[in-house]
Amino acid sequence: MNSLLSFHEVSFGYDEPEIIRSANFELQAGTCTALIGPNGVGKSTLLRLAAGTLRARAGTILLNGASLSGLPLRHVARTVALVPQQLDVPFQFTVRQVVEQGRTPYLGLLRGPMKEDRMAVDRALELADVIGLQQRVFNELSGGERQRVKIALGLAQQPKLLLLDEPTQNLDIGRQVELIDLLHFLGKEGITIFASIHDLQLLEGNFSSVLLLSPDTPLMEGTPSEILNPSILEKAFNCPPRRHPLLLERSQQRTKRAG
Amino acid sequence: MTLLAVLVIALVIVFLFSVATGAVHIAPRAILAAVLGHQSLTPTEQIILLQIRLPRVLAAGLVGSALAVSGLIFQGLFRNPMADPYVIGSSGGAMLGACIGIFFFSQLSVFGFSATALLAFAGSVITMILVYFLARSKGGTNVVTLLLAGFAVSTMLGYSSYFFEAFDTSGSSNHGILLSWLHGVIGVPRWTQLVISGMLFLFATMIATPLMRRLNTLALGDEYAHQLGIKVEHTRIGIILIGSLLTAIAVSLGGLISFAGLIVPHVARLVLGPDHVRLLPVTALAGAIFLVFADTLARSVLAPTELPVGILMAFLGGPFFLYLLRKSKRSYAL
Repeated sequence: MNSLLSFHEVSFGYDEPEIIRSANFELQAGTCTALIGPNGVGKSTLLRLAAGTLRARAGTILLNGASLSGLPLRHVARTVALVPQQLDVPFQFTVRQVVEQGRTPYLGLLRGPMKEDRMAVDRALELADVIGLQQRVFNELSGGERQRVKIALGLAQQPKLLLLDEPTQNLDIGRQVELIDLLHFLGKEGITIFASIHDLQLLEGNFSSVLLLSPDTPLMEGTPSEILNPSILEKAFNCPPRRHPLLLERSQQRTKRAG
Repeated sequence: MTLLAVLVIALVIVFLFSVATGAVHIAPRAILAAVLGHQSLTPTEQIILLQIRLPRVLAAGLVGSALAVSGLIFQGLFRNPMADPYVIGSSGGAMLGACIGIFFFSQLSVFGFSATALLAFAGSVITMILVYFLARSKGGTNVVTLLLAGFAVSTMLGYSSYFFEAFDTSGSSNHGILLSWLHGVIGVPRWTQLVISGMLFLFATMIATPLMRRLNTLALGDEYAHQLGIKVEHTRIGIILIGSLLTAIAVSLGGLISFAGLIVPHVARLVLGPDHVRLLPVTALAGAIFLVFADTLARSVLAPTELPVGILMAFLGGPFFLYLLRKSKRSYAL
């Protein structure tokens, strides 16, 4: 199996009770996977575990077949990048200065940025389409621009796996589409994508598989059309039957197909 | 680079001006000539220069540089432009440590360092760790908690130094040192003290240089820095140690001098942007210029009476600090 990232019976909690209980899943290289689930179920926590910023209480996480907790931090940082929901930057750092920090895992205390680091930063700015913003002050950007700069920061790490925590949150529909296009493009560049997504309508056609995290059932994996099943979603999100427009539309489609 | 060159030239000019100023005026041209090897000074002038003016001006430069660089380091560490060794209590800690040294262990020395110097360093480190943990929450520092914790700790420590007067049995000399420290007087240090302080300062800035890139990364927050492969705790402890060492150097030469560590890095950041790597040399030079200038002013405005430079700085720095506080109200959600 050439899975890039795999969770085996992983459990985690900040205190009792545990949020993540015996989670099992695998991400194959080159895929684009969405993580969905109700608010507060632990999507961000799962992503942090995958990035190695949190340590699992039990179970093992493998990155390219090696135990994540045994790998040096810098090594993990060259393979996995996590784009957080929030990034607060004090002082008037420019976009380029922020993105340059993504090279940190390649630099030492005494080794400053070289030509290849500048090229990697240029490439990241280009990929995320923020090269025109590079001299702007990060704190003065709009939400959509910031989201792209955060992705550029992750890309400067030259990761094989890009984790994104609610990348479409707070974006208007135009910026959402741009962001999804960007994820497609990164997927074509060979980067494996794993993103928590709040808006279920973005799943179909954009993600190759979906992981559903819900409070009382084990992690469920499937294609978008398998997971976008009203009975599954209503249960997972604890949503009254046939109430949400998306679910209503879905169930109508199903009955039509059956008839 | 041009900025650095300009600052070096400015430092030389301020330095000459400061050395020339005093009860006995010595022409800067004569001083320059003497440096170049000409016998242009009278023996009295030579004594005044070598024994009084030069050590004092060098001390002022060193104090300014050390305060400004430690201010830069603490602002980066706390991710907060209001931090400064005086405001957050690091100076107070160093001062208390130094007082314990002077009053109880004045004869003791370890590896050539006096107990006073070592205790000043220890006092500064302990205070910083205390304030740091008091002020932190969720990977950042809240400006209100930081300022309040720093204020409380620094007032407590600063004034508890008065306590030592009660134990003062050795005569009035220690009392004099204590008072001058509390007021922030840059005295005339002995050459040995100056040389040791200078070497420690160079050592601290050398270690600080590679840490500046780390401060840039820490600006993204602890969790992000960790994600980028940085051992956040180790890095932080290293940064606190260097900042405290610089504070201890400044306090042992000039006592409690407020706001220099706040103003200099702040203005440098306005000119150069927040990249700590570029800020370090500029802050070090600008700090020296600023304090040499302020000290010259302090000893000449009310001549022949000398004003402690700490008092002058309080008058200059206080309003600036309030201005910053007011301006940053929105961005720091006071």
